[in-house]
Amino acid sequence: MTLTDNAARTDARAETPGPAPAPAKAPRPKPVPERAVLGRFPRAVRILGYAFALAIGLLYVLPFVLQIANSFKTDADASANPLALWPTTPSTAAYQRLFGIADAGESVPFLRWLTNSFVVTTLVTAGRVLFDSMAGYALARLRFRGRGMLNVFVLAVMAVPGIVLLIPKFLVLNSFYMFDSYSGMVIPLLVDAAGIFIMKQFFEQLPREVEEAARIDGAGTFRTFWSVVLPMARPALITLTILSFQGSWNEFTHFLVATQSEQYETLTTGLARFVAGGLGGGNQYPLKLAAAALATIPVAILFFVFQRHFVRGANAGSVKE
Amino acid sequence: MKRPTSLARRREGAWGWLFVSPMVLVLGLFLALPILMALWVSLLHWDGQSNPFTGGKATFVGLDNYRDLLTRDGLDRTLLATSLRNNAYYVLLAVPLSTGLALGLALVVNQRMLKGRSMLRTAFYFPSVTSTIAVSTVFLFLFQGSGAINNLLSWVGIKGPNWLTDSRGLVWTTLGGLGLVDPSRPPGASHVIMGLPLSEWLAGPSIAMCTMILMATWTSSGTFMLIFLAALQNVPRELEEAAALDGVTRRRMLWHVTLPAIRPVLFLVLTLALIGSWQVFDMVYVMGQGAPANTTLTPAYLSYQAAFDNADYGQGAAIAFILFALILVLVGAQRWLLRERQGKEGRPA
Amino acid sequence: MAPPRPHTHARARTRTTARTTTAVLSGLAVLATAGCGSGFGSSGGQQQTRAGNQRLTVLIAPSSTAETTAVKQAVAGYEKTSGNQVTVQTAADINQQLGQAFSGGNPPDVFYVNSDQFANYAQGGSLYPYGDKIWNLDAYPKSLLASFSNDGKQTCVPKDGSSLALAVNPKLWKAAGLTDKDHPRTWDDLERVAKKLTKGKVTGLVTSEEYQRLGAFMKQAGGWVTNASQTTMTADSKANEKGLDFVKKGLNAGWWKFSKQVDALNAGEAFGQGKAAMTIEGSWLDGQLAHDYPDTDYKLFDLPEGPGGKGNLAFTTCWGVAQKSRHRDAAVDLVQYLSTSEQQQAMAEKFGAIPVRESSAEAYFARHPEFEPWSPMAKGVQGPTTVKGMDKPLAQFNSELLNLRSAAPKTILGNLQHNGEPVIKEAQR
Repeated sequence: MTLTDNAARTDARAETPGPAPAPAKAPRPKPVPERAVLGRFPRAVRILGYAFALAIGLLYVLPFVLQIANSFKTDADASANPLALWPTTPSTAAYQRLFGIADAGESVPFLRWLTNSFVVTTLVTAGRVLFDSMAGYALARLRFRGRGMLNVFVLAVMAVPGIVLLIPKFLVLNSFYMFDSYSGMVIPLLVDAAGIFIMKQFFEQLPREVEEAARIDGAGTFRTFWSVVLPMARPALITLTILSFQGSWNEFTHFLVATQSEQYETLTTGLARFVAGGLGGGNQYPLKLAAAALATIPVAILFFVFQRHFVRGANAGSVKE
Repeated sequence: MKRPTSLARRREGAWGWLFVSPMVLVLGLFLALPILMALWVSLLHWDGQSNPFTGGKATFVGLDNYRDLLTRDGLDRTLLATSLRNNAYYVLLAVPLSTGLALGLALVVNQRMLKGRSMLRTAFYFPSVTSTIAVSTVFLFLFQGSGAINNLLSWVGIKGPNWLTDSRGLVWTTLGGLGLVDPSRPPGASHVIMGLPLSEWLAGPSIAMCTMILMATWTSSGTFMLIFLAALQNVPRELEEAAALDGVTRRRMLWHVTLPAIRPVLFLVLTLALIGSWQVFDMVYVMGQGAPANTTLTPAYLSYQAAFDNADYGQGAAIAFILFALILVLVGAQRWLLRERQGKEGRPA
Repeated sequence: MAPPRPHTHARARTRTTARTTTAVLSGLAVLATAGCGSGFGSSGGQQQTRAGNQRLTVLIAPSSTAETTAVKQAVAGYEKTSGNQVTVQTAADINQQLGQAFSGGNPPDVFYVNSDQFANYAQGGSLYPYGDKIWNLDAYPKSLLASFSNDGKQTCVPKDGSSLALAVNPKLWKAAGLTDKDHPRTWDDLERVAKKLTKGKVTGLVTSEEYQRLGAFMKQAGGWVTNASQTTMTADSKANEKGLDFVKKGLNAGWWKFSKQVDALNAGEAFGQGKAAMTIEGSWLDGQLAHDYPDTDYKLFDLPEGPGGKGNLAFTTCWGVAQKSRHRDAAVDLVQYLSTSEQQQAMAEKFGAIPVRESSAEAYFARHPEFEPWSPMAKGVQGPTTVKGMDKPLAQFNSELLNLRSAAPKTILGNLQHNGEPVIKEAQR
């Protein structure tokens, strides 16, 4: 896990939700006339500043560029000229092997990884969006016995470091006969505390009047939630969808302990085992880099299309003022 | 407003429980219950070959697993000590580095006059959304002995180390480079704490671990930058304008107006980084599984290895709970420390 | 931030949402009912005994892509004759995958068992002892069989075996002005030729840092990790120190390097890429070179002798059958098929697995005398350590050996002695 894997879920904890937290439909704060408070920097400083910003930006982009470039090289070329942005002898051998076009007998089961990742991610995302918003709504709005206790429970769950759950999850899946199956991969991920928290915060700052009006019109609790509240929650739902997709697409540790057979490998577990163990070959970097690149593409597309929502997700709940 | 009748109340209560039932089921069964199960297993000697909850061949050993790890001299304790040392250095470097870098990036991107800042923001944030596994693969490639990074370094005449296979500690290597210490005979080798010689405790992160710290900084700074950015944009403009009217310099503005205003967020980020970096696992799994020479072994990976590689699930669970306790204590300590400071410094000058 | 306004088209949107939700819910329901995963105590009970139409899973940890291909081809032959279906899976980290599978109750039916893990699995009750069902068990060398027996029973049979040999690159050998007569017979010889071969990007000798290679030098100095009966640790002996001192000398002088120092995943890769003029490996080297580096030629020599005489290490892996397998009979049947002389010969030709049935081995070396140095049956060859739980101290030993350049052999060996003693004591109880 990196520093940020838990960021989204822990962010949301951020103590007392302030009166107007983030996930609201943010009509991007109309930038007040773009004017700096202090005057402009002197020209020399500005040029230096741009050069510096560009250099840092390059530092963040270059690894990906090199990854793509080297995935089109031959093994020998990649190890001899790792910095070259253009392959000496361009080769799509890595991609052909991944898609089973060449060397069928010994290719990496990449298509299976891809399918598994898509299936699991779709189910998890769907489940989270539905169940998190249901729970979030109930915790924010419905009055029932034990609500206070459940609120504490959600906060407590968010406080548990995920890595501590590796062995526990394995034990429980085994006890329920769910080890090494799709259900074991998906069901434990269907609800996440951070998502509930985001939705709860959102529902809490919706005006009550609309619901009251619906209720006076004779709508029951479920109808009110379904036809009135959920449609209003669109921005929060999009944020949640994206967070869930990204989270389950990149999920590694849960799948690592929940499965063992090759047939359940996802892009993360498959790639990790392939890269860590090598499967008897040499380094084969072009192949590994190509697989890693392809594993990144879906999230990358999502990122560039819905960047605004990613930004909101990262900040969900963490802004307290 | 109409007062709800008691029937409506009861009905609402039923709906409430219905709405939260998936959450209660999933979180209860797959989070709360397993923790209790693992707590039980941590008191067993169980090799994974039988059902530990129905008797079977698992033997109850009380606190033996914890004793082996914390007080009894032996390999188990040495390994835990090694992993704690590694992770402590990781936290010590990665947390300030990524927080500092993120704040710097946020300040750059927050420059209202900077052209192309949304592009920069995208570039800085992108590594954060990709999977650690994929990024680790790329870093493995870039940081090979004759890889891209060392090629780059050679342009400026530096002969880079063989990053991910170099187990030399940073402290002794640096001091050795300055001629202060002989790295092959570091001081404190005879004094042993928790099965690990003092010289090993003080060795600093290995070069391989430093590579991972670099990667963690690179991937996590984006998320933190966004959090800082939101905070910076929420700094009341009037505050800055008032200061500008008083004619303060840029540096004073940063120190005395902007930073104090975002202090709560700074603490939040520090806490997040602290919690996250005690859980390093994914990149350890991909980038060496503890190699070279156990210098990238972390408690999280050790727990996994004890259980799944060595079939000692009791010990694995015990390591996980030790780690859990450690994180709780450290986060508590950090909060307490920072709260003190906040009180003492009083209002921004 | 303004709260969002209620949507005016709520009705229309609701209908589509409702439809998606129904789809999602039914999908999840299917998932829940179609759980059919595995868990504690599952399987093991119902045995499928009827021949034909059984589905078997084989988990292998291939040393090269050539090995995967060869096993798949062999298995395909079995499918044809038996009517059973067999899936071959490759494991990157077989210890971890098997461990998880055993406790998960859903292990593969047939799998590779490393000699260093054998005691852990066998004493944990994960392995189905099938030795008595194998035809002509006497044809295996006693020393190899001993590595895979537990509690007086032959638990499994070795699939192949190999010892270590010195492989040299003839092109680089010649370029350095060396001839066949320079075949290194002693440590001094080795040092002399390695120094000559070290030039530019080429290192004289590249090996992995594991005790599974360097241990040969401990043996050649007259030492070893344990005594012959594996009842006492002898790691901190002077002889072992002498062996490692020699390795350390080579590392510090630069004519010996570990594969990781030259950016290779293993020594075979370094040798194949021409970064190493010599390496010390077992017969799996052949498969790797043939498949990944067909342009790199090699020639084998016996390992040099040290102050303690000849010394070499034997490696072997057995075909394990899971106790919890639902197709134990079919699994044994498959092992039987793979152990026939014919299949062993085929594996040998395809990726260099040296046959272990004595008759097959003789036939093989008659055809390929150049592979003779890899024979695991030679005298003075140290078999694998099979003490339960010893893999952990040995893994620690390996990780410390990586630091051999700067660390003192005495300390490293002392640690091994210290870590191994409680394990060996525990195993004898």
